[in-house]
Amino acid sequence: MNKKDLQLIIVLILISVNILFGFKIVNQKENKKAIVYYENKEILSIDLNDKQEKTYEVEGYNGKVKIVSKNGKVKVLEEKSPLHLCSKQGYISASYETIVCLPNKIVIKIKTSNNLDTIVK
Amino acid sequence: MELKKYTRLSLFIALSVVLNLIESIIPIFNGYIPGLKLGLANTIILFVLYTYSFKDALYVSIVRVFVVGILRTGIFSVSFFFSLGGAFLSIIMMSIIKKISHLSIIGISIIGSVFHSLGQIIIATIFIKTNTLYYLSWLILFSIPTGIITGIIAKELIKVFEKIDLKY
Repeated sequence: MNKKDLQLIIVLILISVNILFGFKIVNQKENKKAIVYYENKEILSIDLNDKQEKTYEVEGYNGKVKIVSKNGKVKVLEEKSPLHLCSKQGYISASYETIVCLPNKIVIKIKTSNNLDTIVK
Repeated sequence: MELKKYTRLSLFIALSVVLNLIESIIPIFNGYIPGLKLGLANTIILFVLYTYSFKDALYVSIVRVFVVGILRTGIFSVSFFFSLGGAFLSIIMMSIIKKISHLSIIGISIIGSVFHSLGQIIIATIFIKTNTLYYLSWLILFSIPTGIITGIIAKELIKVFEKIDLKY
């Protein structure tokens, strides 16, 4: 490892930390909704302003997918897939986070009234 | 000489496929951030890039993606295109950066690892149409230690093979 390598490492750390902190500042909390897509079509919209725990069931490609929303966060509780990546991922709450369940063709995105994409662009 | 080279290259393809399969069993890289891998197969690609040429490394890398696709993920599935995009971008960027900069093999390994993530993210954005920039920052952060590890392994591998080639 030489000097140039260290410079590269420092530059990469700076870039990624910058992006992370940029997103932390931009993250808004009002009017959150979680939208569930199956094969890119919207099938369920969950209001996240509700503080009570609620369970939803949607039909995925491999069978039923259980989704839980609580305190402005949403996660996948149960699903049928080989690696269970989306249920291992746990709760998501920010507009830049997504849960993707490729075997079930299910995508969960979070939408806020303040759209992040316009700020990033 | 040609025969020796092609035997070696096919051996390396087999090795990188096996490393790719072994890596998917290691549990610590199989949970919290999906898509995070050690990238052990990259040691083979790096080795071929340093001891043979860009063309041979590209050949090994693309054939590896196809064989892994047949064995594990299913050929022409979504994850197949993820790894094809990642492998393609990473090998091209590694050879370009190797030519124009003075980075050591560890630096080149980090470059390969970062651009492998970037290639996958680009394909993911095409397929899923979602905001992945946030996710990319985590992948870049984690590709630094994994890049260093694979770089060190590739460096030692080159040393060992130089000794073997002197013997025979």
